[in-house]
Amino acid sequence: MINRLRTTNSVILLMGLFLIAIIIAPFIAPFDPNQVNMANRLKPVSLEHFLGTDHLGRDVFSRILAGAQTTVGTSFLVLAISLLLGVPIGLVSGYIGGRLDRILMRVVDAFMAFPDYIAAIILSGLLGPGIFNLIFAIVMVKWVGYARLARSTVLTEKQKDYILIAKVNGVGSMNILRRHMIPHVLGNVMVLATLDAGKIILMIASLSYIGLGAQPPTPEWGAMLNEAKAFFYNAPHLMLIPGLAIMVIVLIFNLFGDYLRDYYDVKNQNGGR
Amino acid sequence: MSVLTISNLTIKHREETLVQNIRLSINEGDWLALVGESGSGKSVTSSSIGGLLPRELIISSGSIHLGGVNLSSLKEKEWRTYRGKAISYIFQDYQGAFTPFMSIGAQFDEMLKTHLNDSKQLRKSRALECLNNVNLPAERVYKSYPFQLSGGQLQRAAIAMATILKPKLLIADEPTTALDSITAAHVLQLLAEQQKQTNCAVLFITHDLRHVRKFANKMAVMRKGEIVESGMTTAVLKHPKHAYTKALIAAIPSLKQTKERLVTI
Repeated sequence: MINRLRTTNSVILLMGLFLIAIIIAPFIAPFDPNQVNMANRLKPVSLEHFLGTDHLGRDVFSRILAGAQTTVGTSFLVLAISLLLGVPIGLVSGYIGGRLDRILMRVVDAFMAFPDYIAAIILSGLLGPGIFNLIFAIVMVKWVGYARLARSTVLTEKQKDYILIAKVNGVGSMNILRRHMIPHVLGNVMVLATLDAGKIILMIASLSYIGLGAQPPTPEWGAMLNEAKAFFYNAPHLMLIPGLAIMVIVLIFNLFGDYLRDYYDVKNQNGGR
Repeated sequence: MSVLTISNLTIKHREETLVQNIRLSINEGDWLALVGESGSGKSVTSSSIGGLLPRELIISSGSIHLGGVNLSSLKEKEWRTYRGKAISYIFQDYQGAFTPFMSIGAQFDEMLKTHLNDSKQLRKSRALECLNNVNLPAERVYKSYPFQLSGGQLQRAAIAMATILKPKLLIADEPTTALDSITAAHVLQLLAEQQKQTNCAVLFITHDLRHVRKFANKMAVMRKGEIVESGMTTAVLKHPKHAYTKALIAAIPSLKQTKERLVTI
């Protein structure tokens, strides 16, 4: 089935559906995700509460919808900041080269030397729990990948005759970068970013699960998993549902990333592998 | 009047000398062919004229003068006013001559905008006129992207772009190597016409002595980083002095006698 998902346009459809769901989430949520109702706690799946209620009697379906906004919104924010930080640094580093390039790339190497989860845990642990510290920590481990990719694309492009010709035509460096290079770089970077989106969602959920990210009562899938673990025997759906949500969303993003990669891969137009 | 004068140019990569004691001078309206085997330093010499040498290659002595300006002392910012306007290039790889995701017109426009203060309409009409001059369907090519044109069309568009600002010196680095021989002849014919119109000097780098005989009035032969012989094309081809030049000319297969094996240089 996964292969069929990949080859058809259903990936785009799923992605589109999901994005729409995120945007309209507050309007279709049947309850306030933070509304506590102790008389109605740990209820199983029912018609009134599609996905049951949690240990404080909050509607799980509404919390999942709101959590999608937190989790996915945060991951988009992380991606955007990483791109804005990494891509310009990579561009400049690759295009100017020389000593500046060596210095910047040693900094990147230093960041890359740490396994990303460990670095993110240490950083957000040092800064203290909270969603903004979490964003900062993940950006710190993620921007280097984009800097590297942007740099390597620039290095390949720099060899091409059309860049040389733009140069011999007297076009300035800024214009060469902006008009002749960035479109190439962005294509590659977008593919990496979509493939990364799934990993970042997973990372945010993981860090929230161990208590470093979103704090209660913010609805966030990882944090929901964390809160639910005490009630696993009585209400297993409290853990299953956010877990499944994370799995599905990461799967969608990965498939979408694969699709984009194949789409941009000129050598592999048939999509065969 | 001499457009380009290269005197005693030596280019090094660390300890290794790539090009030694080059002396060249090209006059207005001249077509100078630089011939020689691969690795003889032809392209290094031509890149050094436009200041396009990779960082690792250093001009260790000598100078390059264009008009009255010493090019080898120019700073990166000063270069910009000379590149495209005073010196322009045509390269071998026509497919790589234009940025793939920009239309030909946009690239003409960008170049004109860099050097002139013309209005948008004027820039466009200049570009169209220039494309017309090289026998291209101007309107269509102006709107096209590089992949929509054939090799010959692209190379002609590249010539149009290189000559649009009427440079004093046009450097053609093996412009026809990647084209088939009929298209190559057309392209060179066009280049010759453009040269007549603008009266620019052409530095023509090639492997093909037939083209040299047909188009160039002067030639210089390079080997192992040095110019071994130079002079008027007819004189050099008829009475080669240096052993290497003799060997080069002897290596041209003759149409009349086909029995002998080709000479190896």
